[in-house]
Amino acid sequence: MRKVLQIALSVLVASSLAYGSEQFSMSDADRALYEELLDNNPADMMLASGSEHLDALGGTASLAKYLEQSKDSLASYLAGFPRYIDKYKSVVSIDQMLQAFMHDSGKKPYALKSSDMFDISSYVKSIANEQPINIDINANEHMKKAYALGKEVFNTRRGGRGLSCYNCHNPGVVGRILRTQPLPDISAKGNASAATWPAYRMTKSNLATLQKRFQGCMENALLAVIPLGSKEMTALEVYFTHEAKGAPIAIPGLKR
Amino acid sequence: MSNSKTLIKIKPNTYKNGDVVKVSFMVMHPMETGLRKDKKTGEVIPADYIKSAKFEYNGKVFTTMNIWETLSVNPVITTYMTIDGAGSLKVTFTDSKGTVEESSEEIKPKG
Amino acid sequence: MKRRDFLKNLSLSAATLAVIPTMSFAADEKPKGSNALAYKDALAAITGGKTPEPSEKVSLKVPEIAENGAVVPVTVEIDYPMTDSDYVKAIHIFAAKNGNSRCIDAHLSPANGKAMLSTRVKLGETQEVIALAELSNGNFLIASQSVKVTIGGCG
Repeated sequence: MRKVLQIALSVLVASSLAYGSEQFSMSDADRALYEELLDNNPADMMLASGSEHLDALGGTASLAKYLEQSKDSLASYLAGFPRYIDKYKSVVSIDQMLQAFMHDSGKKPYALKSSDMFDISSYVKSIANEQPINIDINANEHMKKAYALGKEVFNTRRGGRGLSCYNCHNPGVVGRILRTQPLPDISAKGNASAATWPAYRMTKSNLATLQKRFQGCMENALLAVIPLGSKEMTALEVYFTHEAKGAPIAIPGLKR
Repeated sequence: MSNSKTLIKIKPNTYKNGDVVKVSFMVMHPMETGLRKDKKTGEVIPADYIKSAKFEYNGKVFTTMNIWETLSVNPVITTYMTIDGAGSLKVTFTDSKGTVEESSEEIKPKG
Repeated sequence: MKRRDFLKNLSLSAATLAVIPTMSFAADEKPKGSNALAYKDALAAITGGKTPEPSEKVSLKVPEIAENGAVVPVTVEIDYPMTDSDYVKAIHIFAAKNGNSRCIDAHLSPANGKAMLSTRVKLGETQEVIALAELSNGNFLIASQSVKVTIGGCG
């Protein structure tokens, strides 16, 4: 029974993959209405709470000091995550850096999957708003390796239907409609996913990070879900972020 | 910490007396319809929604609203107001359980 | 690296569950909730039986196709004065086929300066969204638009 259902579903998915002219795609006017929602993004409330969490840790001044940055260089530094940080001996995203910051400040770090962590890490990334993403995958061997691993995770077909991220996120299918949604160009030439996550998800009514979104996508595509903060997940974020290099950061995004 | 997070936004950011500006009120609220079931227990989640809001500017009520569970989760509501002197804008809202809360924003006209 | 080796290398702790998208079937009798009120009854209660005049002065902006029924943007703007003697007293938004057809009523005053109400509503299915303006002279203006609600895709 399950097999039959899966076949039926994959036919459904294939048949709903169509170009923009079909009746189920949204008009430009409709899309503009959704764009307007960005003016009043409910995630603004969550970032406000993230800002309070950061204040409890000494605010941006204390974070800048911890990262050995000046008040002026902090934003640009934050626009370069995920990055290799020598004192941790690993490539980390903003959330893991914040866990270390909390730990080193004598506080109990928030869990990576907690809403407090989503709030504070989104707020911290928003400090870099309008800064172009400046991740450097050639900065050192660690970043080179992370990028290579991320690319591999992106391209590896796995799970129940043998899908990879590449299947739905490659230049050949950009713009095709999957259930009213055009498949996005994740690169800086397109919607630069890495620059607009964390984002408010209208289907979930909550704020999610890029890694959390990857997990949702894996789950729906029947791929084993990779844990937040794992080497592979961070590598995937490195890959995505490099794809969007140069795009100005605009946090929080607003997504379906 | 209060159990409701709110935000009031005035657009544009700078305004003067006599200007008609957009005022948006948003609040983190589940807006439960009373029709959803808890996926784990199978029990109906009781209705819980904001049912009214009152907009007050320097003590004068200029807009009141009746609200139902059919508004989206974490509601955002926008209307206009006429700027008429420095002071405060206060939004008082009541939920279906009878809890009353308020949120306010300073109004600072330039010129 | 072979695909299988790659999978082994993934640091996975949780077992994978095949997630089958939930499909909903229309039940014989849909629960409507304690606030259930049909659109025509809701409208009659406000207008007192008076027939609202369809008017281009009422601008109702809703998407023709909603990408997600849980968050549908609705903006109503009335092209009408907001003076002490002549103004828009209230803007009402309805969703005709929701169990409770009422979404929000905003009772305005000349101090609003402009008659506008914008919010986001839940739509259970494809249906008409209606905007009703109540004028200080006792008349009503109305506009409506159909919104197609599609099934959610990935997540």
